[in-house]
Amino acid sequence: MKKKKELVISLVLIAVLIGILRLMEINISPQSKWAMLMTVLKKGSIYALVAVSMNLLNGFTGLFSLGQAGFMMIGAYTYAIFTIPADQREMVYMYYNGGIVKFAIPAICGVLLAGVFAAFFAFLIGIPVLRLKSDYLAIATLGFAEIMRALFQWDTLGPLTNGSNMLRSYPTPASASVIYPFVVSGVCIAVIVLMINSTYGRAFKAIRDDEIAAEAMGINLAHHKRIAFTVSSFFAGISGALLAMFQTNVQAKSFNSAMTYEILLIVVIGGIGSVTGSVISSFLFIACSEWLLRFLDEQHVIGEFTVPLMRSGFRKVVFSIIIMVIVLFFRQGIMGTREFSISGILNKISGRSRKAQKGEPK
Amino acid sequence: MKKKVISALMTAALAVSMTASIVAADTVTIGVYEPASGDNGAGGKQETLGMQYAYSQQPTVEIGGVEYDVNLDIVDNESNNDKAVSAASKLVSDGSSIILGSYGSGVSIAGSQTFADGGVPAVGVTCTNPQVTLGNTHYFRICFLDPFQGTVLANFASQNFEAKKAYILTKQGDDYSAGLGHYFDQAFQALGGETKAETFPEGNSDFTSYITAAKNFEADVIMAPTSTEAAALIIEQAAAQGVEVPLLAGDTWDSNVILNAAKDKNVQIFVTTFYQEGGNAEFDQGMKDFINSDDTNLANNGGDDTVAAVTAMGYDAYYVALAALQAAGSTDPAAVNEALWTLTYDGVCGHVEFDENGDAKRDTAFVKSANTETGAWDFVTEQTISE
Repeated sequence: MKKKKELVISLVLIAVLIGILRLMEINISPQSKWAMLMTVLKKGSIYALVAVSMNLLNGFTGLFSLGQAGFMMIGAYTYAIFTIPADQREMVYMYYNGGIVKFAIPAICGVLLAGVFAAFFAFLIGIPVLRLKSDYLAIATLGFAEIMRALFQWDTLGPLTNGSNMLRSYPTPASASVIYPFVVSGVCIAVIVLMINSTYGRAFKAIRDDEIAAEAMGINLAHHKRIAFTVSSFFAGISGALLAMFQTNVQAKSFNSAMTYEILLIVVIGGIGSVTGSVISSFLFIACSEWLLRFLDEQHVIGEFTVPLMRSGFRKVVFSIIIMVIVLFFRQGIMGTREFSISGILNKISGRSRKAQKGEPK
Repeated sequence: MKKKVISALMTAALAVSMTASIVAADTVTIGVYEPASGDNGAGGKQETLGMQYAYSQQPTVEIGGVEYDVNLDIVDNESNNDKAVSAASKLVSDGSSIILGSYGSGVSIAGSQTFADGGVPAVGVTCTNPQVTLGNTHYFRICFLDPFQGTVLANFASQNFEAKKAYILTKQGDDYSAGLGHYFDQAFQALGGETKAETFPEGNSDFTSYITAAKNFEADVIMAPTSTEAAALIIEQAAAQGVEVPLLAGDTWDSNVILNAAKDKNVQIFVTTFYQEGGNAEFDQGMKDFINSDDTNLANNGGDDTVAAVTAMGYDAYYVALAALQAAGSTDPAAVNEALWTLTYDGVCGHVEFDENGDAKRDTAFVKSANTETGAWDFVTEQTISE
């Protein structure tokens, strides 16, 4: 009964959220001051998905992997390669006579295929790499991502990946509407949450806490690690496809290790082992880095006084300091391992009021 | 407690950023979409300098009989396609009437859709990749294109050095490098030459084997259209191995980084570029004074007062923007976009007029060589593709 009530409340809240987004989209024109908010919401929701997928691996299964940007790249390229309209290919693949793929599939199929390809590569690479532990796994996955990047830029694969040149002119629903990335990311994150709360999720956490104990309890380590790795990469691939839409072009050079560290930072700031933490921090991180701190890059004159240090690049200095402070003093991140939930808040409020009625100190 | 402090700081940051962009009534905003960090940060800053100098000369513009103050809105696109979208979106949301930039074709293409959605026209300054303006009606550019530049270099190599064999070295993953190399390759082979093309990976710092390969190939010229940091290493290695054949490159090599790397070394370097220092004495002097007037400007120009071609192009771009605003007679981006199609302007880098793609009609490039004794550029010739 209680579960049903919670479900209804959640659905209503989701509907309200979509309604608000739709209203914002209608009322905020690209020229308005708040247009940046829409950009942040789009990119934030895409990063939320990849952050949660990384959290599934790093936070819940305890596999310290740094291959996320590589899997995003596979997803982004898969999406772009298969959805560029056939009549645009001549222009996009101008150095390779239109490329070797001559057909296009609908956008949503492209998104799914992006996930499937990323998962497939993860499965293959997982066979040797998942035998490694902690730091060694991180190095191997990071190396894998770099190798994939070099491979995608390789001239010989040009007819497929367009070599060093960018892919573009594919359909970009996530760039056109803010609801699209929200819905796709939302559904994917919901699936991840369901998985975390299932038998698999409990097995993942057991592996994270103590591998030997988990094995003694009858959990197949290799099997579960492979599942976590593949599923995480599947969703990283999907977020890669969304990012491709957001950017409206794909080029391998932007999927570098700095991108992986950015995602890792989001996970750490949000709290390792908290899904809602990752989501909240990805919106915060994107908002700060791309919007709110931009005024630091501009020169300001108050009366006769020119504010010192404010010039192009200062934003990054301030941003780095903020991040250092967070990592040094708030190591738990925003949420730690706790989760944010509506019912939790409701319980807290009702609990407090009950206590207040009894006259107990808070 | 800590959380309260954080939330207070966040609110403060939000408040400041909101108030920061309040502008006066009769103001027209020109967006500057240039990298100030990342791979192309150095070139982007030089290009922005030209615009800032032009702005210091002419900070107002008369549009439809009303005097407007120009607000030069400079945003860093970080040379990164991923960050470029939000930088572009910032410029559109600041109410830009026209946007200038960028150095680097990749970010220009990345921001293009955002400008299109916002209905704001953009004028590329030195983005030479054909794909920037292809298939859209809002992106223009005032520079020449890679197919042109590659052909010019191939003609120059075969005419001046009677080159029969060319070694082409490009950077993997860099669309500018790959594109220019590709067009040079095509044009050189069409002239009856033989080529050998190789790529080096990003972050490579040892060019020994590539230079050796070029020597073994008995190349008459080495074509290396790369970014400046790789260029410095290539020059060093070429000098170390006593390469006597000329090194050729495109507009990116027109930088004081190259001059410093080549100084007192026995190498021949030839580049194609948009502007030759000395082409307009008045502009050169003004630009040098502007660079020397301020430490930040000097640092942004790479520490000395050599006028880079991209700076001259930035200067022209600003005046093209003003001319477009005047021709439109309005600050409405759509009207400015319309006016750009028929605009003509004569700047320090030559005549600007747009063709049906929105590309400037350019038929000559300047070729100059690095003087290894004085550390300056020497004018060689004006090269066209028709000869």
